[in-house]
Amino acid sequence: MEEKGQLRVGFDVGGTFTDGVVMQGRNVLSKSKSLTTQDVTGGIVEALDEVLTKSGVNPADVAMVSLGTTHTTNALIERRNLNQVGVFRLGAPATTAIPPLTGWPEDLKEAIGGSELVHIIRGGSEYDGRDIVPLDTKAIENACRSMKGKVNSVAITGVFSPIINDHEEQAAKIVREVLGDDVHITLSHRIATISLLERENSTILNASVISVMQRAVKSLRAAVRERGIDAPLFIVQNDGSVMSADYAVDYPIFTVASGPAASVRGSVYLSGIEDGVVVDIGGTSTDVAYIVNGFPRESSITVTIGGVKTNIRCPDLLSIALGGGTIIKHDGNDVTSLGPESVGYNLVRLGKSFGGPLLTVHDTAVALGKLRQKLDVFKTSFATHPEKIAEVPKPLISAAWARIKTTIEEVIDKMKTTPDPVPAIFIGGGAMVVPKENIVGVSEVLSPDHFEVGGAVGTTIAEIGAYAEGVVDLDIDNRDEAIAQVTEHAKDNAASAGAIRDTVEVIDVEEIPFTYMPGKREKIRIRVKGQVLR
Amino acid sequence: MNKSQLSAREILKEWGIRNFRVIDKQAISEITLGASILATGGGGDPEIGLLWTYKVLDEGKEILMVDPMDVPDEIQTASTACLGAAIVLTEKPPSSDVLSLAMERLETYLGRKIEATIPLECGGVNSPVSYAAAGEMGIPVIDVDGMNRAFPELQMTSWVTHGMHSSPTVSVDNRKNVTVIDTGDDDVLAETLARRAAMAYGGISWIATYPLTGEQMKETSILGSQSIAWAVGRAVMRARQEHLDPIVELLNSLKEERNVEGFRVFRGKIVDINRDFGSETNKGFTLGTVTLDGIDSYKGQTATLDFQNEWLNLRVDGKVLCLPPDLIAILDSETGEPIRTDIMKYGYRGTVVVIPAHERMRTPKGIEMFGPRHFGYDLDYMPVEDLNTAGGGV
Repeated sequence: MEEKGQLRVGFDVGGTFTDGVVMQGRNVLSKSKSLTTQDVTGGIVEALDEVLTKSGVNPADVAMVSLGTTHTTNALIERRNLNQVGVFRLGAPATTAIPPLTGWPEDLKEAIGGSELVHIIRGGSEYDGRDIVPLDTKAIENACRSMKGKVNSVAITGVFSPIINDHEEQAAKIVREVLGDDVHITLSHRIATISLLERENSTILNASVISVMQRAVKSLRAAVRERGIDAPLFIVQNDGSVMSADYAVDYPIFTVASGPAASVRGSVYLSGIEDGVVVDIGGTSTDVAYIVNGFPRESSITVTIGGVKTNIRCPDLLSIALGGGTIIKHDGNDVTSLGPESVGYNLVRLGKSFGGPLLTVHDTAVALGKLRQKLDVFKTSFATHPEKIAEVPKPLISAAWARIKTTIEEVIDKMKTTPDPVPAIFIGGGAMVVPKENIVGVSEVLSPDHFEVGGAVGTTIAEIGAYAEGVVDLDIDNRDEAIAQVTEHAKDNAASAGAIRDTVEVIDVEEIPFTYMPGKREKIRIRVKGQVLR
Repeated sequence: MNKSQLSAREILKEWGIRNFRVIDKQAISEITLGASILATGGGGDPEIGLLWTYKVLDEGKEILMVDPMDVPDEIQTASTACLGAAIVLTEKPPSSDVLSLAMERLETYLGRKIEATIPLECGGVNSPVSYAAAGEMGIPVIDVDGMNRAFPELQMTSWVTHGMHSSPTVSVDNRKNVTVIDTGDDDVLAETLARRAAMAYGGISWIATYPLTGEQMKETSILGSQSIAWAVGRAVMRARQEHLDPIVELLNSLKEERNVEGFRVFRGKIVDINRDFGSETNKGFTLGTVTLDGIDSYKGQTATLDFQNEWLNLRVDGKVLCLPPDLIAILDSETGEPIRTDIMKYGYRGTVVVIPAHERMRTPKGIEMFGPRHFGYDLDYMPVEDLNTAGGGV
């Protein structure tokens, strides 16, 4: 048992499919692909039963259960089951020109309790650690009394709290005293970085989906236990690493990009490529991500969730409308356009390979003899009407194939940060119907085994990621000491997310200078990762 | 808040002005986008200033813009701006009354009522905040500024090159601390003191500066600067909606509004950023050099840009194509969104456009104060038009 590695069960909940795997070391013992259910959890339980049965493993031997999930995202998009959120900003007399919830969609604002639960309190810090003004603790007490019975979650955001968090912690203590232990408290310095409004938005969104995540975790734990599994539960976070389920309940907002992040991590794991590009080709679209040191590269732009701007760290993804079902429009033998329309699910009805009227990307691959296997998802052969494909003129097929190749080359090039060729990993249901030879800018194209459940595999990589930040003035502070201090914070954060402390290592040190300010001030940001299992 | 209880509309009525433009959310978005493009890679993140202006408008306050030539000669104007570290602003937005307070104290110091305000420069921060302040105070914005681009220092304006001074300047913070800076004709010292005050306040200050009479304003400002930014922003937004080439639309808008020719000179991808913490850092600027590898028709060529908060100088394959104070913008080729020096990253792709500075920035005094030699280049200034026509170049 030991030398083979411990058993891990992983799930990836996507918009359409819920995938599951049982893994041992790098081996996939069993896999499943089923439709995602309305309640999400039901689909996971179904997948769990299927992979357990297929693999025949003893549930008691499972060491870890993990999932990438859309619970949080769905709740926010549908404005469903959200918490009633008391909002505190510690920053007056500064910041009042732009109050909390500015720019939020009205329906979302209402769904979390609206502006009457918003309070701007005197307090917060300057970048150098001084108080803007002392924290107005009395005002927090009074506000809490006015919220009693109206809120079940509280979001607290202090100016410069990512650097000095004292006021947020003090405020949390008062909230706890007045509103009791049943109220969830989210502190902004644990959620995101400098940039008050976006961090505040991220914090409030987090506070609004805590109960959603809490219920999901509770029902999954119960289901897992019922099946005789006695193992910790982990959730994939936006950077592709995992966090313990308890931690996820406190920080559900870190799961909004859980699915795509898990796919990237799965590709890395299955291919062994640590730096390169991941091309995830579905039925209607293709997502391209870039891997750096085995993790998805972070997006540098503002991420909008449910119509609200946030500064949550998410993978840098570029999506284009190209998939197996993408419709090829043509005029004679000339391709006039490639998509963006796709037949999607209806490939087996509308695609030429199945006797339908439309020429799709899938059909060009069939015409060129690229497909051999059955289509598991559709439970059918890749072409039921080969005679219809034979009727398509060869020059049209070549033109379409060339157009698909250029489209993929362009999107890969957009994501690259170096002119040198890099390895590319093609995954997803559509990976088998697109060109993979002589792709410009790419050193090799890999489509590892089990790539169709790459996301589920990605959830089982037992690594925890975390980060911390600090601001230093290099004229005063010693750079190495400052970096060491921030590194310790990052390691603490990884440990509280479920990592074994002494396995935590640094994966990235970033230094960002302050502009328009004298001196050598800069922000240090350190990312770390650690192991869940020994 | 202002001692004047008049609204902007009433002020204009007193002046006998019937023609003015009402600034709504769409207008301020367009002006701010245009200003960010003209900001030459600097000027900061537009988010805070825009949200503040939206809030002012949501509260039912009016923001009106007037033509400089309609402003009476004898009235008092002053510029309003944010001065300090951009990153601090994103973490510590202001209270609504900071610029009103600065203006009020400047009025006290001058012993005169200030009846209109002027943005200092074109930038993501300093364009919209003046509009927000105008709305808060109930005074009009004048269609001018002191740069028609962004520059790193307070004295780098057409006002100074035409004999005006930033003093007296009033600098305040959110806690209502007030610093009056009056250095007479020493505008460089005023800049130093203003920046020190900002640091002491915690990185950000709010200033009322360059008190000018209506007559001085007309003789020394970049006239129509707001309209230029507006035209540029409107053209780029329209291009986005109608799926036109934003670069072409931008250049056309400059031709129409300013009758000048801008040049699309390069398209490439950022392959190297060298941020330099060298000897100049205690001046408080981000310095460095960025390299772009050409793509499309520029494949095989290399562009190098130096920056000091703003882009300073552009070379393509070693040939100089733009020198300060002429403008350089790197724009996202699809959206026309400017790529700023503080947020640019390895791998960004963009089109490089160079634009002639306004003639009031190109006087001999201007070239001395913010031309190539001021920024340490051993090069004589050559207008961007000469550098980008056949036979030109250094």
